Amino acid sequence: MSSKSSTVASFVEAAPPGELSNVVADIKALSPNEVSSLGPAFQKYNEEQYATIKIPGSSEATASGAQSHPLESPHADTIKSLQKSFSAAASEHFPSSTIGIYPNDSNSSIAILLVANKYSPQNFWNGRWRSTYHLTPSNNSVTGSIKVDVHYYEDGNVRMSTSRKVELSSSSADGIVREIAKAENKFQEELNRAFTTLAEGSFKGLRRQLPVTRQKVEWEKIGGYRLGQDIGGGRSK
Amino acid sequence: MADPFDAALDLLRRLPPSSTQQNLSNLISLRPDLEEDLLSSVDVALTSKRCKKTGRDFLCCDYNRDGTSYRSPWSNEFEPPIEPEDAADLIPGGRVRRMEEAVNAGVDVYRELYYEGGVSSAYLWALDEGFAGVVLFKKTAAGVGKGGWDSIHVLEVTEAAGKRSAHYKLTSTVILDLGLSSAAVDSLELAGNLTRQTQSDLQLGLRDSEVEQSHVVNIGRMVEDMETRMRNLLQEVYFGKAKDVVGDLRSIQPLSEVGREREAHKDVINKMGR
Repeated sequence: MSSKSSTVASFVEAAPPGELSNVVADIKALSPNEVSSLGPAFQKYNEEQYATIKIPGSSEATASGAQSHPLESPHADTIKSLQKSFSAAASEHFPSSTIGIYPNDSNSSIAILLVANKYSPQNFWNGRWRSTYHLTPSNNSVTGSIKVDVHYYEDGNVRMSTSRKVELSSSSADGIVREIAKAENKFQEELNRAFTTLAEGSFKGLRRQLPVTRQKVEWEKIGGYRLGQDIGGGRSK
Repeated sequence: MADPFDAALDLLRRLPPSSTQQNLSNLISLRPDLEEDLLSSVDVALTSKRCKKTGRDFLCCDYNRDGTSYRSPWSNEFEPPIEPEDAADLIPGGRVRRMEEAVNAGVDVYRELYYEGGVSSAYLWALDEGFAGVVLFKKTAAGVGKGGWDSIHVLEVTEAAGKRSAHYKLTSTVILDLGLSSAAVDSLELAGNLTRQTQSDLQLGLRDSEVEQSHVVNIGRMVEDMETRMRNLLQEVYFGKAKDVVGDLRSIQPLSEVGREREAHKDVINKMGR
């Protein structure tokens, strides 16, 4: 791959939720000859970001990411049951989401995927929640991760990205679905607390809202401020 | 077809702000013809250098750069030195340098009051109808999580005939990078930048001797107001908006409960209305 095609591919792979078409339009304007080389980058983006597609003849979207094989798996019953219970559980917490339940190639595990998107380009923000779980049917244990991305871009570019590894187990497949909802609730509560930690911690430590003196700077008398007295007086030494 | 320069800026507004520096060099290698325009209009996190002559740190940006040399606001010299004929063009003197020194001194006090540390630098240069300048701050936070604040204030000052007033145009960008890694949340990155503009016509005093001092006061006050406004805006976007969007994606409270509560609330309102 030429360095130009790998550069434009890296742009596609880093596209924020809901803005792939904008990124591609920019690439077209910058380097029209490279657009034809983007096939593999699109595939990678679709699989990593759980792009949803409507299967012909179906009214509901399904999440790509793992290939969906026709169900010849020995876990067909588990998959059917998970499809029902996970879909019901998802609609209890996600106003809009798409799920996918797929066996892996060797039938040793079942992938449980969820993607929720909320796009509001007219207000300059977009968001995506992705849940990925791998269930081992032999012992009903699950490993996985939750990833959330938010992009805000009104006269700027602010990106939040967070991820959390998840490990849980239960005595039954239905139990797994309940444990997932619990783990996701816990993560979301912890995320909200992390926002507060950053706001009260790092952010406050960067620039004060007002000087220690609680007064704005008197620029006319700027030469009169004395180091150590007027300045930094509130700091513990 | 969209203009390539606009497309490059649009792309940088969309791709992860934590990789702006990398994306900027990738864009330049993709389109070398856009290099100059991109370098002068895209703000990246500031770097600091130690002034060899004074031992004080100063900040580097496109406005105090010549090739790979940067001018220290403390010594007014380029490091490493540049050709004398270039230096004659690029090193400010006279009233512009006097004001630059005064802005630096004022901004230094301001920095201690608001940042309690960090590095600041201001650079001015002459224009036909006035002058222009940039005021820079950089602070890195220690403590819980990582944090970095870079603010870049670009000013264009047009003096009215007779120098009794001036028109100030300020374009400010704050690059704020916050991150947290804990047992509860494996990683949380909140990174980005916001840019805002403002304009103002301000008095310069009645006596000629007051003009330079008035510029320093006007610039200082505008930068202070803008930074305070932007700090509030950043707080809203980073901790309000981002959290709200997560809440829009997923509700901690089961949606069936939310629905029932809403119905119950509607009931109460209806009964009260009767």
